[in-house]
Amino acid sequence: MAEVLIADDSEFMRNLLREILEEDHNIIGEVENGVEAVEMFKEEEPDLVMMDIVMPIRDGIEATDEIKTEYPNSNVIMCTSVGQEEKMKEAVKAGADGYITKPFQKPSVIEAIQDVVPS
Amino acid sequence: MKIDVQSLDTFNQLAHEGAQEATRSMTQMTGIEATVEVTRISLVDRKDIGEELGNDAEFVGVQFGFDGALTGETVLIFEREQSAAIVEALVPGGMADESMAQSSVKEIGNIMMSGFIDGWAEHLGTSIEHTPPSYIERQGKDVLPEGPETDEHDQVFVFRSEIQWEGEDVSFYIYMLPEYTPLTELMAEHGSSGTDAIPIKKLAAFNQMNREGTRRAAENVEMMSGIETEAEVSQISFAPIEDVPKRFGKETHVGTAVEFTGAPSGFLLVLFDEQSAITVAEGLMPVDMDSDELTDQHKAAIEELGNIMTSGFVDGWANVLQRSVEHTPPRLVHDMGQAIIDPLAAQLGQHQRHAFMIDSTMKTEELEFESKIHALPNEQELRKALDDLDVDRADQTEADADRLF
Amino acid sequence: MKIYDGSESGDSEETTPERIKVGIAEYEVTADGATLTTSGLGSCVGVALYDEHSGAAGLVHVMLPVADEVDDGKPAKFADTGTELLIEELESIGANKRGIEAKIAGGSDMLDFSEGGSGIGDRNVEQVKETLSDHNISLAGEDVGGDHGRSVRLQATTGDLVVKSANRQDRTL
Repeated sequence: MAEVLIADDSEFMRNLLREILEEDHNIIGEVENGVEAVEMFKEEEPDLVMMDIVMPIRDGIEATDEIKTEYPNSNVIMCTSVGQEEKMKEAVKAGADGYITKPFQKPSVIEAIQDVVPS
Repeated sequence: MKIDVQSLDTFNQLAHEGAQEATRSMTQMTGIEATVEVTRISLVDRKDIGEELGNDAEFVGVQFGFDGALTGETVLIFEREQSAAIVEALVPGGMADESMAQSSVKEIGNIMMSGFIDGWAEHLGTSIEHTPPSYIERQGKDVLPEGPETDEHDQVFVFRSEIQWEGEDVSFYIYMLPEYTPLTELMAEHGSSGTDAIPIKKLAAFNQMNREGTRRAAENVEMMSGIETEAEVSQISFAPIEDVPKRFGKETHVGTAVEFTGAPSGFLLVLFDEQSAITVAEGLMPVDMDSDELTDQHKAAIEELGNIMTSGFVDGWANVLQRSVEHTPPRLVHDMGQAIIDPLAAQLGQHQRHAFMIDSTMKTEELEFESKIHALPNEQELRKALDDLDVDRADQTEADADRLF
Repeated sequence: MKIYDGSESGDSEETTPERIKVGIAEYEVTADGATLTTSGLGSCVGVALYDEHSGAAGLVHVMLPVADEVDDGKPAKFADTGTELLIEELESIGANKRGIEAKIAGGSDMLDFSEGGSGIGDRNVEQVKETLSDHNISLAGEDVGGDHGRSVRLQATTGDLVVKSANRQDRTL
């Protein structure tokens, strides 16, 4: 059971992720933008962040970059509607550990998490 | 073959003035006041011509062939009920007699369309012959001619004018489908041959990219909502900027709007009619709401769906052009269609007089469901993006995350 | 075989149907009490002018604040030139400038993505007001701003401007 932080500006998406993850993991928090994601990460130091890219105030790639710089051993999976190769490369550069494109099916989410934080 | 914005504008205006001339003739003969609302040029897949007319509405009208500097087919069509009013205005009691009704429609069509064609010939300083009119009566998009043969992209230019009766919510239409080569040659001749010309091949390839983007967006809808959705049409149109909002009526729409930046920048809308919005939102939600009204939960679901559809659509541009296209988080809209578009058109209108608009439609067979995507790119940036477009990469719309992670 | 004589070039001003629709970047005036309508105002502004004494009324649907920015020979598209044009046209059908009153609606800030500064809707409204005041025309009513669309109906017999919105009760100015 991993401690997971969900960062997504869409309430609908947060609920969906919560529903998928709740069974096997401990969701320690939900935030709506990149600034909150970094703040909460520092407070809670969860095992995994499910990070959206397009968010208000600060996007998910910048937030990932900051988290990864300060906590190189942290785990971040981008979970986004953006399916652009250039963005994926930016995510790699920021240190993201995985990339899931929305809309997703439950098994693909579970599999991606298993790859990053094996239970 | 290249065309530029100047020649698109000239030809759009010609079609518009032709339609005005035709409408004036009708007003003189019948006393029915009508105005030409919108004229636009679209580049569209041949099989999608007239998709906006649906499959069921009954149309009557006249069809001509024309030949000369331009070659092709043109039609003037009325919805059947409206034709009755015109016939009655021309020949009181005329509707009682079927053949009289037909000959009235034919005659008025003949006079209107002569005005339409003559305007073109005059402006182009050449002659355009037309065949005698034939009376047509068919359903939906079948009322339109098939469209001329074209090159490997199988796309054609369609000129479409919508004419509306004063005080009524009814319209009739003039469609002109010129053969591709004479038209594009003529357009190339009438361009300013400046640096802003767009190779038509690239415009056609861009259209196909958008069709692919629409297909992906439709897949996303299906995956999220369980509603079997098919991408129907994708076309690119050109019109004066103030005509862009006119195409959206008073009906209430629900959806999302984003601003995108990159190459090109602009605005993108995902819109549903209210009923379709409820249908799709219900499909998205784990719990059945069974509500006839659009609730806040529905709206939250639509917002995320709009976000995902938007990405599905613009990602293809980014991947083909090998750069990134950013977009703002979606803003939910729920208002009169035209009022949703006009702020976006106005924002672009500060820097451009005309607009390219990309329109895509997706539908489903079993349910009353329809969704539309409309993109309004910055004109100059679109031209630049098209310039940079490598036609051979146009099918590389998808990126594979697994290759990178 | 043309049967029209080509002498008519204007729009429908020479006839007076009961209800006249005004499109974006268009205007209409009436001296015979017709009803002028325009729909789907987002950031656009509908400017209604009415002169009680002569009964002349007019409506313009403007889209952008100033013609200078993108001059393209369509005066009714802009708040400054559109308002001026409507004043002139109203005078030309018998209105006395001193008797003209204005009512305006629209200029919402919905879907304004511009960062900082005021949006197009606000700027449209400000420009219309400025042009009206340059011509000493008083503003008798307004329903502007907010984040919703509007449709308006100007009843030229009374000068009433009825404003409709998608999710709100009708208002009469």
